[in-house]
Amino acid sequence: MAPQNGMVDPAMFQSLQAQVDEDGAIRDELRDLVQALEKHNRNTAFVLSRAHSTPVTELRRVLRAAEEHIYASVSVITTLAPKASEMPYYKFNNMWTRQMQDAAYGMLFWSWLGGYEQDGKVPECGRLLTIEELGKIMHIPVNLKDRDEFHLTIEEYLFATIALVEELTRLARNSVTLGDFERPVLVNQFVKDLFAGFQILNLKNDGLRRKVDGLKYRVKDVEDVVYDLSLRNLVPKKGESEAEK
Amino acid sequence: MGETKNEHPSSPYAAMFEGFRKDLDEHQDRRERVIKASRDITAASKKIIFSLQRLRNIGQPLPPFVTKNNAQYWEIIKERYKTISVDLQGLNTHRYASQITHGNQEFMEALTFQHYLEAQKLISYDESKAQMAALSGEADPVQLSIEDYILGIFDMTGELMKFAITAMATSGKLPEGRPKKERKPKQESSEDPSADKMDIDDGPSPQSGEEKPRNVLSDMREIRLQLEMLEAPRKSKLSDDVEKKAKVMRESVEKVEKALYSLTVRGSERPKGWVPGAEERPAEVESY
Repeated sequence: MAPQNGMVDPAMFQSLQAQVDEDGAIRDELRDLVQALEKHNRNTAFVLSRAHSTPVTELRRVLRAAEEHIYASVSVITTLAPKASEMPYYKFNNMWTRQMQDAAYGMLFWSWLGGYEQDGKVPECGRLLTIEELGKIMHIPVNLKDRDEFHLTIEEYLFATIALVEELTRLARNSVTLGDFERPVLVNQFVKDLFAGFQILNLKNDGLRRKVDGLKYRVKDVEDVVYDLSLRNLVPKKGESEAEK
Repeated sequence: MGETKNEHPSSPYAAMFEGFRKDLDEHQDRRERVIKASRDITAASKKIIFSLQRLRNIGQPLPPFVTKNNAQYWEIIKERYKTISVDLQGLNTHRYASQITHGNQEFMEALTFQHYLEAQKLISYDESKAQMAALSGEADPVQLSIEDYILGIFDMTGELMKFAITAMATSGKLPEGRPKKERKPKQESSEDPSADKMDIDDGPSPQSGEEKPRNVLSDMREIRLQLEMLEAPRKSKLSDDVEKKAKVMRESVEKVEKALYSLTVRGSERPKGWVPGAEERPAEVESY
């Protein structure tokens, strides 16, 4: 419509449109995968939330039920990873970063409760998976710096860790309700250790900073639970808890 | 590093978090460098645009006073792009997109505006990319995204509006391309009302623009047409930004149309130098 010697070259705009459309098509394709991941994350969280009402002795069933959803999310991630790796990572990462956090969180909580069996060993309770271990479960690299590929970032891991602390704070209270006075003590130590770790970071004014700022209240919440227990002499002695197992 | 070794000896996660701290610090440092550069590039681009707004003609080489004055600002832009180009490579190419976008858009605005004044054409995406690569260093160029290119052009229509209004206010005519410069309407001549009437008649008729030199308004309309046709992916950041900027662009075109209208209707009755519609939009007076 505009002549070639006019103000604009219509062909250039057509080519821009084509490139914009291409990005849109990639986005659509990725969005389907991300939505599938979100669904599995929701299912994992749904099953794991039963931990709040299930005594430790019966937890195995819950963890096994969660495992199915966790591995379903892993299979989505392994499909997403090569597709996303075709594109510059940080061009599209905001599409999945939330869902990757949630997936990581599900795995952290599941593993903390003793769901992750490693090398055939009896899983231990109260352990934080490292970012490398998460990468192994998800079959993706972590904290990449030198290549432009899909991976789990430090930030995603840290956000997931904070979500874990928030969940454990709830768990500490609910454990007491279930008559389990041992777990709050475990949570208390764990949350304290993690909080000390977060204090090592130089946080700038961003989303992570705001989340970490809230952490101290969670630490205090758990402390209050342990305080209530110890005040009433309900905290099990070291020896007792060993014997019980 | 050393001073924090024994800060939290009790936490079993100390070593892990120290590793994270190192990586996060590097990330924040890069991010801050990019933010600073973006700010400087924005400021320098604005200054370039200011001095370009002192011109009154299109389709001509820039006069030396503008080139000379702007050289320092182009130098700043070049220097800043060079500084951060290393931070925007490989995995990090798009990582700081939202930090650099303002600088890039303002740079695009200056670049397109200058190109328009010189060539009366919209600079292409490829050419803009090449210009940015030349500034930031060919080896590790800073990438110009399509988004920043498009958004910069949207902003540029605002500059065209200011340019057109200022020119109309000071010279009493809408700036147009070179070829038929001798046919410029003479607003001050009052002894020949029929001649004035002729000028008034062909001023605002865009349909007959084919054989006449293009003017700023027809160019703005052409850009508007192309930008309005552009379809951004739904729910993308681009579509949000475009929606906002398109509104401003439409207003800009309309402002020039209104100014041209009042110039056409009242132009013959007013002495030269009278500012059309000045009482309604004092903000459009050129700022220093």
